[in-house]
Amino acid sequence: MNLFDPFTLPYMQRALLEVLVLGALAGAVGVLVVLRRLAFVGDALTHTVFPGIVIAHLLGRSVVAGALAFGVLTAVLLTVLGSHRRVGDDAALAILLTSFFSVGVVLISRTRGFTADLTVFLFGRVLAVDRADLAQTLAVAVVATLVLALLHKELVLRAFDPEAAAAMGYRTRALDLVLNLLIALVVVAAVEAVGTVLVIALIVVPAAAARLLTDRVAAMTAVACLLGAAGGWLGLAVSFEVSVDHDLRLAAGATIVVVLVGLFLVAAAVAPLRRRMAAR
Amino acid sequence: MSLLDVFGDGFARRALLEAVMVGGLCGAVGVHVLLRRLPFFTMALGHATFPGVVLAALAGISLFAGAAAFGAVVVVVVALLGARERVDDTSAVGVTLSGAFALGVLLLSAQAGFSRDLTAYLVGSIITVGPGDLVTTAVVGAVVLAVLAALHKELVLGAFDRGGLAALGYPVLALDVVLLLVIEATVVTSIPAVGTILAVALIVAPAATARLWTERLRATMALAAALGATSGVVGLLISLQWRVAAGATIVLVAAALFAVSLVVAPRHGLLARARTISAAPGPTPAG
Repeated sequence: MNLFDPFTLPYMQRALLEVLVLGALAGAVGVLVVLRRLAFVGDALTHTVFPGIVIAHLLGRSVVAGALAFGVLTAVLLTVLGSHRRVGDDAALAILLTSFFSVGVVLISRTRGFTADLTVFLFGRVLAVDRADLAQTLAVAVVATLVLALLHKELVLRAFDPEAAAAMGYRTRALDLVLNLLIALVVVAAVEAVGTVLVIALIVVPAAAARLLTDRVAAMTAVACLLGAAGGWLGLAVSFEVSVDHDLRLAAGATIVVVLVGLFLVAAAVAPLRRRMAAR
Repeated sequence: MSLLDVFGDGFARRALLEAVMVGGLCGAVGVHVLLRRLPFFTMALGHATFPGVVLAALAGISLFAGAAAFGAVVVVVVALLGARERVDDTSAVGVTLSGAFALGVLLLSAQAGFSRDLTAYLVGSIITVGPGDLVTTAVVGAVVLAVLAALHKELVLGAFDRGGLAALGYPVLALDVVLLLVIEATVVTSIPAVGTILAVALIVAPAATARLWTERLRATMALAAALGATSGVVGLLISLQWRVAAGATIVLVAAALFAVSLVVAPRHGLLARARTISAAPGPTPAG
């Protein structure tokens, strides 16, 4: 098993770059998602951008623009609906998620390549990432990193102590909107290349593993970025080696997710040891 | 063509019957899902049954059995992960959801025909339900409703006051597991009609709509069941008339009913609330 050989092929290089950037970006945003317990929001956004992608596809426009429009719409609706007491966050999310996704399914069910399109959306085509995809992902990563760097203190405070954040004069509703928009950005950057299932895994799994390993937010972010990128790399290499050498085809995106979950399980196994050593 | 002419065909009659039964079942169960704040868990169950479906298809056994078995595994995994102090429930569900779904994709991709039959499980195919599916739905629906009716008092108390339930000597954990299994059975039963991804919509949306209209729990359940069945029938009619995906249309009808109710419902609707706020300025009381 060689971790470097597969990446002499140009398409494997592009795939590697894509998952490294996405893994690091999603890891950083994921820490906030895990701290705020927003995994469901991430999951919802991966589904609600679908109609945007379908509409853009049907109109022959940029898929990223369509996804971005619906991602922003979702982020705003989530922030508004979440404040209705009788409905509740999770019910609002479930309804938004499924109805937006349904709009996409209804629209795309009128076209001919229905099954193939849906499959690509769900499972991605990370091995077919081209230069334009890479450029878009990099651009989004730069924007998201800037926002994260500028508002890091406020977002972390909002996560741990919303009352204090409000008392100090921060506009918590606006901060919620910013975080929802950040998650939407990650989803938009990643969804076309790697599929919805991989996006939610990249956001939640490395951050949840990092949370098991450390208590400090800065360290958690670093570990989550590293785990996300490492999972992407390992998953690609494993999927390539197994497919080529052992003639057993493993979907690249799904292999990355399984590797990430494996890393999470290792972290869950190591965490009690670490705490025992710290307690001594 | 009159609307009812559509149901002259056998497949359409079967689809109609399935839509009514699944809609009613999901609506009734959905009230408990909302009371316990389990929509995300329900969503995860839908995704997590996927590897079970793939394995069952490969082994040539009943897809229901495969989905149900894997769903049960997920119930246990989420419970175990969530019991760890540093993994909160939401993250546990998120990790389990994506991991299980990826496992399904991996199993499928290792086979030759990658996207074979996938779409039907993901977004449903109510037009092709057979007599066997109808019987399964009827039996599972009857059992689930019987369990809900028999344990109504205990389940509701457990949703509002777990400590009280334990103090009264009820087995709290066993009741939790029963409810999770009921939800799982409902999700698995809905797969032929609306698919794994959209099943959660038919469970959550009618119940959330009903909660906007009434405060009483039994009335909420009856209304949710009626709304679920109505969504099923209306969505099916629309999809037959305009030839669009049936499962997704059913979900959109359920969501539209919710959206309208959110605006116009008495007391909890946005219009009513706006009126209350303008009548009595100042912050509205909690609750």
